[in-house]
Amino acid sequence: MPTSPAPRMIELAHVERRFRRADGTAVNAVNDVSFVIPEGEFVCLVGPSGCGKSTLLQMLAGLLDPSEGDIVVGGKAVTGPGPDRGVVFQKDSVFPWMRVIDNVEYGLKCRGVPAAERREIARTYLKHVGLSHVERAWPRELSGGMLKRVAIATVFANGGRVLMLDEPFGALDYVTRHQLQEVLLNLWNADGVGTRRTVLFVTHDVDEALSLADRIMVFRAGDQVDDIPVSVNRPRTTDSLLLPEMVAIKHKLLHHLGLDHNAAPGEAAA
Amino acid sequence: MSDAENRQMTKGSSPTAASGGRLTAKPVVGVRLMGRRAVAALDPLRLAGIVVFVAIWQACTAALSPIILPPPLNVVRRLFGDFLDAPSLSYYGVANPNLYANLLYTAENVVIAVVSGAIVGVVAGLVSARFGVVRAIINPIMMTAGTVPILVAAPFLLIWFGVGRASAVCLVIFYVTVILYLFAQRAANNVSPIYEEFARTLGATQRQIVFDLLIPATVPEILGGLRIALAGSWGLEAISELLGSQEGVGKVLEVLAGATDTEGIMANLLMLGFVAIVVDAAAGWAVRRLANWNAGLMAERN
Repeated sequence: MPTSPAPRMIELAHVERRFRRADGTAVNAVNDVSFVIPEGEFVCLVGPSGCGKSTLLQMLAGLLDPSEGDIVVGGKAVTGPGPDRGVVFQKDSVFPWMRVIDNVEYGLKCRGVPAAERREIARTYLKHVGLSHVERAWPRELSGGMLKRVAIATVFANGGRVLMLDEPFGALDYVTRHQLQEVLLNLWNADGVGTRRTVLFVTHDVDEALSLADRIMVFRAGDQVDDIPVSVNRPRTTDSLLLPEMVAIKHKLLHHLGLDHNAAPGEAAA
Repeated sequence: MSDAENRQMTKGSSPTAASGGRLTAKPVVGVRLMGRRAVAALDPLRLAGIVVFVAIWQACTAALSPIILPPPLNVVRRLFGDFLDAPSLSYYGVANPNLYANLLYTAENVVIAVVSGAIVGVVAGLVSARFGVVRAIINPIMMTAGTVPILVAAPFLLIWFGVGRASAVCLVIFYVTVILYLFAQRAANNVSPIYEEFARTLGATQRQIVFDLLIPATVPEILGGLRIALAGSWGLEAISELLGSQEGVGKVLEVLAGATDTEGIMANLLMLGFVAIVVDAAAGWAVRRLANWNAGLMAERN
């Protein structure tokens, strides 16, 4: 088990983000959030919509500046987006005017990786996500689930040590979502213990968080309200979700989400 | 010539006449629709419409004198006759007494104007979509130019450049620039910001974002605008030649109008319409080739 102390990958110190409403009043989307994530950890950010989890991810990605506080990733302060941090967006971001393989290569191409080398890397990841047969296809010919696979392959191929996924599977059907969770976990595992990438995965699906995460952070109204380690062994199956430890965490999460009406009071408070 | 033969030839010549008229009548209706319809040019309903149009035309000629409305067949015959050699034109001072040389002159001007207008319009449109300051400066000018009928500029152009190629070309350049500015700007604004965000997280530079994202993403809409501009340019070029030129289809129309040669005028219009259709079809083909990733176009898998 990877219990040896891994180096710090992501550090947030008193990060805040304010937005200005149309009427001029300020709203805090993220309130004084601080945490440290060690390298190789799979972290899920959970919370109701509007809790600030996506805003947090955007700041980590460098697409949004924090109003206050510092964000350090891999020892460097975040000042803008960069290939060290890959992002899979909720909406489809695959470029429709490039063929699938060109999409997967694009980040590498931007950094001047030689054509043969980047094609090799792109093919490897397309194979991982099960899309080798459509490498010459146009994105419009693919289904929503396949487009997500392309986006995941692109981000992995680009080689960032931190991956951020913002409700990536939210719009997909149950079966596709589970297939993609498996694809993601397999890719993450393929790097091997000790060299795994650090993953931040935003979701509002409690079961998804339980089956994926090493650690679940809960947000509500811009505040970080909980930070729960999930030590259940991998690979996890649907049965893993029925383990007492998982059930206890699930009750806790549902409580945070305001859905614990049926839970025993003792369990919810645990 | 027998009556039956006559009718057959009338039918045969009809498609160009009717759709030529339609194209100049409503050039700004919808690019994509026109694109797909051009492919289905042999739609039976369209053919029926053309046949009815020619039939009504033919019927009207029975009641009207040929000076007012010449019969369709005479117009076609006149077009074929004058195309390579029309000695009557030399009496009126047209430099080249045939239709093809004048058509070529007009076509040259259209090409020069469309190419230069498109370059200016597209660059200005894309830049203005990305930079608020540029937009604030250029938008009012382009919007004004877009609302004022472009022909009011003609007198100024005549003063500045005199009668000749420059005035006509400038008028068409204005027209093309305004249309493509608006199309390019709208196309750039329609590109979802998600693509740029994704590219930035992948490590793309500003330059790469422009060349790998902004330009390819806007190509289909810009080509659509180019097609509209091209269709309108033919008419506008001919009109601007009416205002004073020694050559060109517009000049030929002017002298024929002076001679009240209705048949000759209609033969010219028929030719102009036919050329516009061919050019539009070619442009449509180019759109499908250059933007074959676009879901709005025909699916061609390879």
